[in-house]
Amino acid sequence: MSRVYRITLKVKRYDPDTKRTWVQDYELEAGRILRFTDVFRKINNELDPTLAWSSSCEHAQCGSCAVKVNGKPLLTCELLVENAIEHFGGTTFTIEPLTTAPVVRDLVVDFDKAYERVNKAKPYIIDPSPKPAGESEYRISPRELERYVEATRCINCFCCAEACISSHRNFLGPNALMASIVRLMDPREQAREERLELLYSEQGVYRCHTSMACSFVCPKEIDVAHFIALAKADRFRSGAEK
Amino acid sequence: MGNTLQIGSTIYCDVLIIGAGGAGLRCAAEIFERKPATRIVALTKVSHPQKSHTVTAQGGMAAVDPRDPIDKPIYHMFDTWKGSDCTADQNIIKKIVDASWGQITWLENHGMHFSRDENGRLSKRTFGGMTLNFGESSARRAVFEADRTGKGIMDTVWGEAMKGGISFLNQSIATELIFNGRRCVGAIAFREKAGDFVAILSKAALFATGGNGQVFRITTNCQQNTGDGLALILQEGLPIMDPEAIQFHPTGIVGPGILASETLRSVGGILRNKDMVRFMERYAPKMKELAPRDLVSRAIETEIREGRGILNPDHNIQHVWIDLRHLPDYVHDEQIPEVTGFFRKFVAIDPKKELCPVRPSNHYQMAGIPTNEFGEVQKDPQQIIPGLFAIGECACASFHGFNRLGSNSILELITMGKFVGERVVDYLGEDLGELPAGAGEKTFSQFSRFMEAKGKDNIGHIREAMQGVMTEKVSIFRTEDGLTDTIEALKELKDRADRAPVSSRSWAMNQELVHRWELDNLLTVSMVIAQAALERRESRGAHFREDFPERKDEFNYHTLASMSEFGQVSLGKRPIDMSLFEAKGEHYDRFGLIERKY
Repeated sequence: MSRVYRITLKVKRYDPDTKRTWVQDYELEAGRILRFTDVFRKINNELDPTLAWSSSCEHAQCGSCAVKVNGKPLLTCELLVENAIEHFGGTTFTIEPLTTAPVVRDLVVDFDKAYERVNKAKPYIIDPSPKPAGESEYRISPRELERYVEATRCINCFCCAEACISSHRNFLGPNALMASIVRLMDPREQAREERLELLYSEQGVYRCHTSMACSFVCPKEIDVAHFIALAKADRFRSGAEK
Repeated sequence: MGNTLQIGSTIYCDVLIIGAGGAGLRCAAEIFERKPATRIVALTKVSHPQKSHTVTAQGGMAAVDPRDPIDKPIYHMFDTWKGSDCTADQNIIKKIVDASWGQITWLENHGMHFSRDENGRLSKRTFGGMTLNFGESSARRAVFEADRTGKGIMDTVWGEAMKGGISFLNQSIATELIFNGRRCVGAIAFREKAGDFVAILSKAALFATGGNGQVFRITTNCQQNTGDGLALILQEGLPIMDPEAIQFHPTGIVGPGILASETLRSVGGILRNKDMVRFMERYAPKMKELAPRDLVSRAIETEIREGRGILNPDHNIQHVWIDLRHLPDYVHDEQIPEVTGFFRKFVAIDPKKELCPVRPSNHYQMAGIPTNEFGEVQKDPQQIIPGLFAIGECACASFHGFNRLGSNSILELITMGKFVGERVVDYLGEDLGELPAGAGEKTFSQFSRFMEAKGKDNIGHIREAMQGVMTEKVSIFRTEDGLTDTIEALKELKDRADRAPVSSRSWAMNQELVHRWELDNLLTVSMVIAQAALERRESRGAHFREDFPERKDEFNYHTLASMSEFGQVSLGKRPIDMSLFEAKGEHYDRFGLIERKY
C-alpha cells in the first residue's frame, strides 16, 4: 500500500539581489515513490513559490537537476523519497546547490560557467579521419565501440566534478576529460596530438588523485575513473595499444 | 521595477534560433557548412542546449539503407502516409524520406555513436507501423544509438554548432517577435538569470521551440515543453496547424509518465491486463503490440475503462502491465538497459522479475506552426512571412499528419533542420535594420501585468487544474460535451491566472515569473486544441471522437487555427498535398485515401 512520510528539507538558499545566504526548513508529507523534483514542486505549490531549483527532462537524461543531498551530488529526479530515507537513514535532508559553478539563486547554478571546462575539451570531432575507400560511412566493430561507448553516455550533470577531491582550480574535471578521452578512442578522430596536449597539460589528468569519487557518484553509473586511468597509463599515445 | 521593463541591449546577428534542441542546432550546423562565420545566436529556455528535450528520444530513426536488398523508400513513404491517417503532406513525405539516409550518414560522419552490427555497419531494428511491401511484414528500418538515440543526435549537433562558432543565450525565452513591415527581423528575449530584456535583430529567425506536452498531466515531455512557440505565433495573430492532432505514447511509466520506449515492444515485450490476457491480440490480430501508437493507446484505455486495469496506490493511477520477464538477460542488459533502468529507478521495480506498470502518456504534437517544404512560416496557404522559419516538433510541414510513426520524429528534426538551413542562407544578404519603434511594448505590458497581479492563488495549482481537465477530456477519447466543458473550464482558469500573483518582486532568476508566462502559453494552446477538436467531428489518427468514431472525407484538410483574444478561435483550412497520388507514378494507388488497418 501507499505509504506517506513526513520529511524535512533544509535548503540552502541564496538571494542574488541582497547577496544573502541562509538555510530554510521545509516540512511536508510525501508518498514513498515521489521524487525529490516532485517534492520541490510540492513546496512551490503549497509552501513557498519563490524557491528556485532546476529540472528539465526529469528522466535522468539531461542532468539539469543535480544538487547535493546530505553532501552527496545526485540527480533529484531519480531520488525517490523512500529510497532517500533508506539510503541516508533519516527523514531530514540538507539540500545544497553544486559548487562547480556560481549560484544564480537558491539551488540554480550557472551551467554556462560549469560547461566552460567541457567546451575546452572540444566535445566534437576536431579533425575527421578519412573514410574507407568507396564508403559513405566509417566502419567501427562492436568490439572497438565497446571500449569507449560507456563514456558516451555522460550527460554533463557535473556530479563527478562536484565529488572530485582534486582541489586544483584549473583541473578540467572528470566529465570534461572524459569528453576528450572518448574522442581519442574514437577511430574517426585524427586530432590526437591536440587532445593529448590538453590531457597532459597543467589542467589535465595528473591533477586527478585517483579517489574514484567520480565513478562512485555518477548517476549514469559510468566508470569515469577507468577512462582517466587509461589516460594516466598513457594508453593513447601513438604506438600504445588503444 | 521600472528600470527592468526596457530593452537593456540589442544583439545583432545573421540568424536567430529560438530553441537550441536537435532541429535548431542541426540547422545551425548546416548554415555553418554552407557559410562559415555566419553569426548565429541560439536562445534556449533550458540551462544548456544539452539539456534539451531531444536527449530523451530513445528508440531510433527511420531511414532506408540504400544497401538494403529488400527495403525501399517507397515503403517508408507508404508507412508514413498510412500512419498519418492520410493527412500528412506527400511532398514533405517524399522530401524527407528521400533525404533520410544521407542525413544518417551526416550524423555518423560527425561523430554520433550509432550501435553497430558485426560488420561494423549501423545496426537496424523494427518499430510499430514499419513495413515491407506495403504492409506485408515488418521492416528493420530504424538506426539507433542503444536506447539514447536522441542524446546521440543532440551531442553531435551541439558539438558541430559549437565548432562553427555559435553563440548561446541559455536560460532565455523569446517573448515577442519583431517585424519590419511584413518581415520578421528578430525577437525580444527575457534573460532569466540576469532578469533583463534584450532585443535580437536578425536576417532570419527560426522557431525550434519543441512541443506542448505540459498541457497534460501525464506526459513524457520535459518540464519546459509548454507550447511557447505556438503561443507566441498565436499572440502575433498567426495561425497554427492541426492543434487537435496530439499523440499519446501507449506506454508511459506510471507515475512520472516517463517514456517506456516502443523498443520494449519491438524486442518482444507483451501487454497484459489484470487477468494476464495478451489483449492486443483482440485489437490488432496481425501486428499485436507493434500496431501504431494510437491503436495501442486506445486499446489500453479501453481495457482500463472496461475494468481490466490495475490500480497503482501510490499515484492513484490505473494501468496495464508490460511483461518483459521472458526476455533473455542479454536483451535487458544490451538492448534496453536505460529503459529497464527507468523502472528500477522511478518505480522501484525489477523488469527481469516483475511486471511493469504502464499507461498511455502524452508524447508528441503533430500540431505546429504551418510551414512550406523549406520551413518558411505561412500566414495562410498562399503567403509566407519573410524571414521567419519553424522546424522540429513546433513546426508542421506536415510530415506526420494526424499520427506520427515511431522513429519518424528525430528523422524530421535532422532532415528539415538541413533543408531549412539551406534556405536560410538565401536570406543572409539582407540588411540588418534598426530596432523598430514600439518593439518590446507588448512584452512589457504583459510582464508588468504578471508582476502587479494581487489575487490569492498559486500558479502551480492552476497549471495542475488545467492539466487535469485536458487529460480527462481532451486526450485519448474526446466527446462534444467533454470539449464544450473544457472550453468553459479553460476560460475560468484564464481568469484565475490573470489574478494570480507572483510572490517575489525580484527579476533575477525569478522562476515563478517564468512559470506565470508559461501558464499563459499553456492556456492559450489548450484553448486552441479544445476548439479545433470540437470542430473536427470525425476521428482521424490520434484525434479520436467517441461520438464520431469514423474518419470522414469532408474533413480531409489541415486545420488552421488562430485566436484573436482568449477563447475567440477562428478556424480555416489548408489542403493536404497528395502529389504522390496525383503524379500517377508506380504504386500511386497506395497513396490515395486508404484505410488505416493493421
